[in-house]
Amino acid sequence: MRLGLVIDMDTCVGCHACAVACKQWNTSGTTGALTDYRPYGEDPSGVWFNRVRHYEVGDYPNNKTVNIPMSCMHCQHADCVNVCPTGASYKRPEDGIVLVDQDKCMGCNYCAWACPYGARELDREDGVMKKCTLCVDRIYDEALPPEERQPACVITCPAHARFFGDFDDDNSEVSRLVRERGGVKQMPELGYKPVNTYLPPRITRPIPIDDVRANRVVSSVKDWVNKMVAR
Amino acid sequence: MHPAFSVILFTVISGAGYGLFILLAAFHLAGIGPAMSHGELLAHGVASLGLITLGLVFSTGHLANKKNAWRSFMRFKTSWLSREAVFAVLFYPFAGIYGLGVLLQGAAIGPLPALAGVIAAVLAVITLFSTGMIYGCLKTIRQWNTALTPANYIMLGIATGATLFAAIATVFGNATTLHAGVAMVALVAAAVLKGIYYFWISRVNGPTINTATTFNRATVRLLDTGHTAGTFLTDEFGYDPRKDTIDNVKMGVFLLGFVAPVLVFASILSGAPAGIAWLAAVSSLVGIGMERWLFFAEAKHVVRLYHGAQTCTNSLAEPARGRTTVAPVTDPTDARRWELGDTPGGSGS
Amino acid sequence: MSALPEFENHSEQEIKYTTCYMCACRCGIKVTVQNNKVRYIQGNRHHPINKGVLCAKGNAGIMKQQSPARLHQPMRRKPGTERGAGEFEPISWDEALDMLSTRLQKIRETDPRKLAFFTGRDQMQALTGLWATQFGTYNWAAHGGFCSVNMATGGLYTTGFAFWEFGDPDWDRTKYHMLWGVAEDHASNPIKIGLEKLKRRGGKFVAINPVRTGYQAIADEWVGIKPGTDGLFALSMLHVLLKNDQFDWDFLVRYTNATQLVVQTPGQKGDGLILRDEAGNPLVWELEQEAFVDGTQVDIKPALFGEYTAPDGRPVKTVMTLLAERYLSEEYAPENTAKITGVPADQTERLALEMAHVAFKETIELDIEWTDSWGRKHDKVFGRPVSMHAMRGISAHSNGFQTCRAIHLLQIMLGSVDCPGGHLAKPPYPKHVPPGIKPAKECAPNTPLKSPPLGFPTAPEDLVIDDDGNPLRIDKAFSWDAPISNHGLMHMVVTNAVNGDPYPIDTLIFFMANMSWNSSMNTAEVMDMLRAKDDSGEYKIPFLVVADAFHSETVNFADLVLPDTTYLERYDTISMLDRPISEPAAAADSIRHPILEVDRNVRPWQEVMVELAGRLKFPAFTNDDGSRKFEDYKDFIVNFEKEPGIGFLSGYRGKDGKTHLRGEPNPKQWEAYIENQGFFVHHLAPNQQFYRFANKEYLELAKHAGWVGKTDPITIELYSETQQRFKLAGQGLYDGPQPTKQEHKDRLTQFFDPLPIWHKPLEQTRIDEDEYPFYAVNQRPMFMYHSWDSQNAWLRQICAQNYLYMNRGKAESMGIEDLSWVWMESHNGRVRVQVKLIEGCEPSTVWTWNAIGKQKGAWGLKPEANESNKGFLMNHLISELLPKKGDPVDNITNSDPVTGQAAWYDLKVKITPADPEETSTWPDFDTVKPAPGMSEAPDQLRYAAHKPVHLNRSIRDVLTRGSLDEDR
Ligand SMILES: Nc1nc2c(c(=O)[nH]1)N[C@H]1C(S)=C(S)[C@@H](COP(=O)(O)OP(=O)(O)OC[C@H]3O[C@@H](n4cnc5c(=O)[nH]c(N)nc54)[C@H](O)[C@@H]3O)O[C@H]1N2
Ligand SMILES: Nc1nc2c(c(=O)[nH]1)N[C@H]1C(S)=C(S)[C@@H](COP(=O)(O)OP(=O)(O)OC[C@H]3O[C@@H](n4cnc5c(=O)[nH]c(N)nc54)[C@H](O)[C@@H]3O)O[C@H]1N2
Ligand code: SF4
Ligand code: SF4
Ligand code: SF4
Ligand code: SF4
Ligand code: SF4
Ligand SMILES: [Mo]
Repeated sequence: MRLGLVIDMDTCVGCHACAVACKQWNTSGTTGALTDYRPYGEDPSGVWFNRVRHYEVGDYPNNKTVNIPMSCMHCQHADCVNVCPTGASYKRPEDGIVLVDQDKCMGCNYCAWACPYGARELDREDGVMKKCTLCVDRIYDEALPPEERQPACVITCPAHARFFGDFDDDNSEVSRLVRERGGVKQMPELGYKPVNTYLPPRITRPIPIDDVRANRVVSSVKDWVNKMVAR
Repeated sequence: MHPAFSVILFTVISGAGYGLFILLAAFHLAGIGPAMSHGELLAHGVASLGLITLGLVFSTGHLANKKNAWRSFMRFKTSWLSREAVFAVLFYPFAGIYGLGVLLQGAAIGPLPALAGVIAAVLAVITLFSTGMIYGCLKTIRQWNTALTPANYIMLGIATGATLFAAIATVFGNATTLHAGVAMVALVAAAVLKGIYYFWISRVNGPTINTATTFNRATVRLLDTGHTAGTFLTDEFGYDPRKDTIDNVKMGVFLLGFVAPVLVFASILSGAPAGIAWLAAVSSLVGIGMERWLFFAEAKHVVRLYHGAQTCTNSLAEPARGRTTVAPVTDPTDARRWELGDTPGGSGS
Repeated sequence: MSALPEFENHSEQEIKYTTCYMCACRCGIKVTVQNNKVRYIQGNRHHPINKGVLCAKGNAGIMKQQSPARLHQPMRRKPGTERGAGEFEPISWDEALDMLSTRLQKIRETDPRKLAFFTGRDQMQALTGLWATQFGTYNWAAHGGFCSVNMATGGLYTTGFAFWEFGDPDWDRTKYHMLWGVAEDHASNPIKIGLEKLKRRGGKFVAINPVRTGYQAIADEWVGIKPGTDGLFALSMLHVLLKNDQFDWDFLVRYTNATQLVVQTPGQKGDGLILRDEAGNPLVWELEQEAFVDGTQVDIKPALFGEYTAPDGRPVKTVMTLLAERYLSEEYAPENTAKITGVPADQTERLALEMAHVAFKETIELDIEWTDSWGRKHDKVFGRPVSMHAMRGISAHSNGFQTCRAIHLLQIMLGSVDCPGGHLAKPPYPKHVPPGIKPAKECAPNTPLKSPPLGFPTAPEDLVIDDDGNPLRIDKAFSWDAPISNHGLMHMVVTNAVNGDPYPIDTLIFFMANMSWNSSMNTAEVMDMLRAKDDSGEYKIPFLVVADAFHSETVNFADLVLPDTTYLERYDTISMLDRPISEPAAAADSIRHPILEVDRNVRPWQEVMVELAGRLKFPAFTNDDGSRKFEDYKDFIVNFEKEPGIGFLSGYRGKDGKTHLRGEPNPKQWEAYIENQGFFVHHLAPNQQFYRFANKEYLELAKHAGWVGKTDPITIELYSETQQRFKLAGQGLYDGPQPTKQEHKDRLTQFFDPLPIWHKPLEQTRIDEDEYPFYAVNQRPMFMYHSWDSQNAWLRQICAQNYLYMNRGKAESMGIEDLSWVWMESHNGRVRVQVKLIEGCEPSTVWTWNAIGKQKGAWGLKPEANESNKGFLMNHLISELLPKKGDPVDNITNSDPVTGQAAWYDLKVKITPADPEETSTWPDFDTVKPAPGMSEAPDQLRYAAHKPVHLNRSIRDVLTRGSLDEDR
């Protein structure tokens, strides 16, 4: 299995629901508590696994705004794991999920340096590195109804811009979407082979208008002849 | 990259220590230069081991969870940091045996301690190489991802070690032109290597905000990072010193790190008292400390592209270069359409 | 690898369903609770509103519960201290309620109008309105007047339903969607769900908005319009439709008043009114009979176009003729409107034709048999799959009512009203145009009002004014200032009360409204007004009661603070009598119930209201023997009947809980709702889902359920006679009340019109536009709800400072750099703000997120919080009165002249760079002191409902597994 997310930049409205859902689920989850620094003071900050960033492509008036949520890509070539000296960081062979064993981490930040996607954040209070677990504590929890065995960020997304599934399975929804929509990867040139894949904004279908354009435009009320339409 | 003080201290100090040890071993075991007294040998040995150890202690300074530091030996298989730790530790028994030999036997040590000394020296080189590779292996930081990084680490370690070696020798009145010459050669070589590095990083390229966001055909600008205050990522990677600070420090690196020590040794060679070698040692350490600061400060992690940097060498504040001049694509079947904005004709005023 | 550990101890957890109230969208939530602590809040999959999803705010509910701003106990202003100084002393609930009920008793016995009760972002207007009615004061309204009444009124006076909470696009079928001036809307999750459906289906999404963020980011086409000009843009598209003969002739003839005849006697009484027979039925010209006939009959063939002479000799024209004459005019040609709207002519034309194509060439046909109001059976439903939605980008302008009508007009011309793929009503809507309730006009001691305080005037007779034409309500609603102010004018209450205009009041109650800060116009002056005293040293507003759950800026000004519970701690109803959670194809309502135990000395406002109603012996709350009718709120909800069988909750009625919509009270109704995950849904049969303005089966159901008063078909009013009546009054041609002041006459003649008009937003007509060249508007951030969410430790990390966004090219041409500080100045004041440059913004527009700026010390935040030092409010710049010119208009509200809707987005400003050392916001107000009992804001938070279960990697795995690519 190669589990990961597909994120649709065509429907993501940048609402941050996925980011907060992630925070909510995980602060009491396996990696919690996710510390918040200065929560009510100046420059509030904290540990998050999923952050939504907003960009503009092109110049006014030919500009488009795109929202890009990013969490761990669960890279196939996860250098974050390679560089980890303690073995705290690891990639599960069975499903490709990249995790940190908090009990082994020494908080050296090296994995965060090796991650191109900003997926790892040090919890300064716990002194350990934390990151998206692909909600390993949800997706395999058999006490949850099957439809809820999905990452918190996926089930919450109001624009259904997030999909979770197995990229090794050609018939999975994620594989199909990537195929049909020409899924793209971020910074492929670095060779990390991120699993998470982004769907580019779609091309709009052209709407013909010649069939509703009058040959001779109406210029006065007098141009209309009443039709016998029964009330 | 945010320059962590503890990492700067660690790499500079232990680098010098390893360099010193390498020179000690080379002079002593290969019989280069004048014979060293028992005391001098010990002084070099203690100094190098002391510096290395001090450095390693500093190195844990940046660990957020020190109690797990011991686990850093576990991933020798893949991690240069682990390898560095392993080699650094492995160095000790060999250095220890060699040191014991020197302690007990003086200059004329037996073959076993001598062999240990050779191995320790090799391990010192490997450790320096590993330290360099910790940085050199990161594809995420284009300024580091080069063979020049470990080469620099080794050469700078040897150069600072050589100045120390020469300085300590003066204490025992044993400094020779060879000491000064070796130090000068090492310093010049390190300076050349560093020069090449600086030239190289001025030309690095790699991912851009376009490849990071997947929008490759038009200007991409950050609108909002999605958080008001800084985060771990911006603290760690968002460091953007001013250009003139960089230039001044770079000047300092060359002046204090290389030029001044070389001049000191040159003046020793032309008759100045050998004791001023200490000036060279201190100056080179300070200079290399500045070099180390620059090494971090100039390194630009690719995650910055997500925080608005246009390229992996730009500062975060540098605006996008020019406005996109490509004409809007109005043909709806053109795949570029979504990348350029979708409003045929737009609605500008 | 080894098996996974058990992460969650499910046996310690309990799952409860309730309704979110992190905003007014009212999504269903599934809450996992562990040890009276929330483990996880997620969307309820079965809930009609959100279908399982949850927004950023909803996901941060835990942090609302943790907020240090929560009030802990009732308090009163410390005797001897000044109002607004923030000196409070705790009192008991008994003392608080005694104090309040004694005062209210006195008011009620003497002059009930002296109590003004205004509510903010609440969802219980059915209860607060009933309470005010029973008290006997018409000085009640909710926030609608400053929120989006233009959208409600625009719709209810046209199609009988509206955008906003009364209707939805048919997201499942629409193929073309136009979104006008919406950043987030009340329907936060439904719009996101809907846009995704539309896009995935390959439909086109066009966004009309000066700013391109949020929803507009994913639009297929962005129309970066100049603020306040949408009406003209809509009418210009209408021009294109007419020019190209693209409109739904059948729809207009059958369901609208397009064929009705309008009297054309300019300058005479009766001009512009509909020609009627003696019985008052509108007349039409029958094409076969060639005669005037009663237009309400069916099977007649009325002329859509034509000019005739009425039997009494008066010239008449059909509505459609007037409409075509007006909008065919070159004034509306895209080439001419482009200069004002900024939308290029070819784009305006293309968009209109695209809609025509989708409406008429991609028509939907559904095989649904249905019966029209006249009993005729039809075997198909036709849909024009073009839909629209509009909100505050339209409504927050003083021309918003007319603009909203113009947008509805487009929909009507396309025939896309309550049809498949079009704009659908949500029960209890549609209602007859307009709904038959009239606002109360009389207050008498100890007497309930005869009708609710708010209603729907159709003629000057319905105004709430005295014989001299002066306003009777404290907010001057339903007066000549704003005759059709259906939701009141909450934004005028403080100003009017302090000025004693029309009269002074005694007690002002604010519930859930931050009226000294982000919800008021002219913030600084409002704060002064709240502190203002008369010559005798008495406060001009003698007694201010604030019922709030949190330590807002307004709480600081209260004389009595009644602390509320949070949404997870109380019973509540989202009632069919109010704005329920219905979907187009289903009537639905819902409840909240306590999920967590209350840990402070606070009480739900619902309980307080029922308690006060009992103490004050309101008739509806009192038995004949004088005893209290309802024990508490729960009891009230179960047993109160508005009319036989109709109560606050429509589901699970009847003794056995098996009757729905109408039925006897069910003592176990709460339990039934709780068991059914907190909501009730009644699905409409397919034949009740469309054309509900003339759908027999639907209207019969609606009558049964009490949603409409009669089953007569609802005629869509293309032409608004109500508007004409007020216009005539302005012209002095009306048989009935007429204004005497010139400024009122001018307003009525200029701004009332039976067919939509476009006029410049009022502020712009009273300032020098060259001096203030920028339009300044706000947007709702998707992750923040007004002022509430800066107390939320998670949400404020996303945004703790708002910037002023400016078009990059424009700013650079003025030498303004990204992140520099500038002064933004309006006719009313100035603020210092930090700029961010953006491409996606119409160049003459600047904007910011709404309500991020905070007064120092409020909301449990530390004084150094970014919100108070770098964030800002635009409210300081917006005046509640029109810009001063030294004429009588100076004292008229800065609102839509028709509806009284606060014109927040009419604001125009100038921008000048600040000095380099000026790097904080201005104005800077005093620091609010914490209230007694509030918990101190911690410096670090580590919320967790249980201990984490770590996922350990075995040492063996650490040592043996090599690099990753091989593993795979
Ligand atoms: N997350 C969140 N949701 C909320 C709220 C909240 O505070 N936060 N508040 C709730 C409330 S009370 C309300 S009233 C609704 C309001 O919901 P919205 O209607 O979405 O209100 P605004 O955010 O004011 O959005 C106004 C939009 O109109 C644009 N605009 C401004 N002027 C014009 C104009 O002249 N023409 C056009 N076409 N566009 C214009 C602005 O750029 C902005 O995008 O949201 C509700 N939902
Ligand atoms: N500049 C500018 N100003 C605007 C707008 C704009 O677009 N631009 N928008 C306007 C609009 S549309 C609106 S609706 C208003 C918002 O108007 P308001 O209704 O005033 O909204 P808030 O200020 O967020 O919230 C009011 C109060 O409700 C309290 N509250 C929250 N939850 C509870 C609860 O459970 N119980 C009780 N009792 N109180 C609670 C909060 O603490 C807060 O003090 O703002 C208006 N102001
Ligand atoms: S929840 Fe969905 S729409 Fe919202 S930011 Fe995340 S991915 Fe985008
Ligand atoms: S995204 Fe970063 S943390 Fe995640 S697997 Fe890839 S490199 Fe590792
Ligand atoms: S911070 Fe922890 S997980 Fe990351 S590399 Fe260091 S030890 Fe490994
Ligand atoms: S998969 Fe889970 S942990 Fe990862 S971003 Fe989504 S919610 Fe967060
Ligand atoms: S939109 Fe969000 S905050 Fe509002 S009710 Fe729904 S989940 Fe709650
Ligand atoms: Mo609102």
